[in-house]
Amino acid sequence: MDDDALIAAVARHDDTALRELFSRHAPWLAARLRGVLPAAEVEDVLQETFLAVWRGAAGYRPEGSPGGWLWGIARRQAALWLRRRGPTELLLPALLAADGRHPGDPAEAALSRAELARAVSALGPEGGPARETWRLMYVEDKSVAEVAVLMGVSAGTVKSRAHRARRLMRAALRRHEPAREGGGR
Amino acid sequence: MNVELTELTRRFGRTQAVVGVTLKAGPGVFGLLGPNGAGKTSLLRMMATVLPPTSGTLRLLGRDPDGYGPRREIRRRLGYLPQNLGYYPGFTVTDFIEYFALLKDMPPGQVPRAVAAAIEQVGLGDKARAKMRTLSGGMLRRAGIAQAIVNEPELLLLDEPTAGLDPEQRVAFRSLLREFGQRATVIVSTHLVEDVAAACSEVTLMDAGRMVFHGTPGELIARGEGHGVGDAPLERGYSAVLAAARS
Amino acid sequence: MTGWDDLTGGYQDVGPAPGDVDLDRVWLGVAAQVWRREPGPAERAAARLLRSPGLARALVTTPSLLLGWLMATVVILVAGVGFTLGTGTPWVALLAPAVAAAGIAYAYGPGIDPAWELSQSMAVSDRMVLLVRALAVFGLNAALGLAASAASGAAAAFTFGWLVPMTAVCALALAAATVTRSPNVGVAAGAAGWVITILTGQAAQGRFTAAITDSFLVLPYLAFAACCGAVVLFATRIPRGTS
Repeated sequence: MDDDALIAAVARHDDTALRELFSRHAPWLAARLRGVLPAAEVEDVLQETFLAVWRGAAGYRPEGSPGGWLWGIARRQAALWLRRRGPTELLLPALLAADGRHPGDPAEAALSRAELARAVSALGPEGGPARETWRLMYVEDKSVAEVAVLMGVSAGTVKSRAHRARRLMRAALRRHEPAREGGGR
Repeated sequence: MNVELTELTRRFGRTQAVVGVTLKAGPGVFGLLGPNGAGKTSLLRMMATVLPPTSGTLRLLGRDPDGYGPRREIRRRLGYLPQNLGYYPGFTVTDFIEYFALLKDMPPGQVPRAVAAAIEQVGLGDKARAKMRTLSGGMLRRAGIAQAIVNEPELLLLDEPTAGLDPEQRVAFRSLLREFGQRATVIVSTHLVEDVAAACSEVTLMDAGRMVFHGTPGELIARGEGHGVGDAPLERGYSAVLAAARS
Repeated sequence: MTGWDDLTGGYQDVGPAPGDVDLDRVWLGVAAQVWRREPGPAERAAARLLRSPGLARALVTTPSLLLGWLMATVVILVAGVGFTLGTGTPWVALLAPAVAAAGIAYAYGPGIDPAWELSQSMAVSDRMVLLVRALAVFGLNAALGLAASAASGAAAAFTFGWLVPMTAVCALALAAATVTRSPNVGVAAGAAGWVITILTGQAAQGRFTAAITDSFLVLPYLAFAACCGAVVLFATRIPRGTS
């Protein structure tokens, strides 16, 4: 049975189809998530992912790619988990997604919390414009307008500060991997 | 010691089903062999606290099953597969195993995961939501094994567990026995001698209610050398011991 | 979002699962929720009331408490109401004990439990299951019967008078079913016993309803019920060893 048929079967509440889907796709999903999360969290997120697959299989459109659909669910579950865990981890997937980079890239897997902390410190001292903008926008999830009001600057200034913050962090993270071309959106 | 039987006897009217059986067993896999009517099932029933002994003493998991409280404690840690196990036709495999998991007083929070684990362990993962009336004989037997192991018992009693299982499933089952035997006392009653040879560290042979042999499979094989009838060494030992006991 | 296009056809190339992720454990977590049937509100309430999820599960799987059985009971009692309103004879009072006896015979025992021997090795003892199921079936039948009686506009003597005979008839059915290991024998015994009682009352006092309304029958009924109860206790104390 191909993946499209399996997902359709799952939508009909066929649990054996879910089992087959799991055995085919859980390994690579786990590998990809492992690049972003520690092992124990990968297990939790993967479990939530397949439960979401079980509940939401009816929403799958056969023209799409099954792998893409599955990864989309996994990534949403990972983001949910990260949001529950607290601010400091929030940046990593947001950054990686914004870059459009392959999260399974071995270089990403090497990223540790210490490196992330180093990257954050590259934004400048706490309270400084770039770092504060980053904190309000990506950690506290505020909109450009709200940040403009909070910092007492114009929206355009906020946007350019955010752009600078992203650039600085990307450069700091890239210092540990081979050069890539065209990493932008 | 999980099982301590001393001169255990069970009578039904004038029939002596089990006579003076004395046995001690700690963790490990133990085989119970014998012809039909030898008393194996009655012995297992007594160890499953389903049948009280007529005389003799019985200590299970360090407790005396005569009192209500200790008997309940034993039963929480017990896994039993009777020779004839009925099923509730409208139940799914999961319903069936979950029913007995709950009746064994398992904490309800642990039950779903334990049921899923038991189902996967016996290879019924594809049939978890199938109704029991759609299962073959071998699958029903495996469902029975699953309910016996769902609570990770310290004492696992299996009466003819491999009935209906194909050779590949029997191999898988034996490795399940060995795994359980590392922590629990597993007693398997069977008339399939090769099941015993592969998995058991000790064998008890019963005839007409009495224990006529107790030892390792190797010792049973030794008894068969030169005498016994049978194709395999263990079968020869089996028939040699029976012949000696009956003469 | 960019990056989707990387995925088509290429996702399997990411490699095997990482060694520190236990996929079997993950699957068990998924299966645990996908495979089970969530207990309904009745079972959840029973589990809290009885403080035992096992006992609650045993209760809701009682054959004579399943929806089909309950609906049949309601149909019979409604017919009884109809007959009562039509003919003036308190049919509900005459039918209710027999219906309850059938429910009790089909509540418990080796005849209706295919996994009987296994049930006897359970931590939740089969006697507890018997008690809870019998009380539930009796209580439910009594409530339905009382509602039907009231609906049929019967006099007070007929509305409540059949509860004591019902106890006796149910006890008889349960004892017969347990001893003979057959629920059908239990139903037959209960029904036959009740019919005989009614006919005897009719022969002695000229009314069908004598069996229900005579107050000096109360003690004999209760004594009989107690004897049957003792029989049940005895039959369930000694587990049957012969197979």
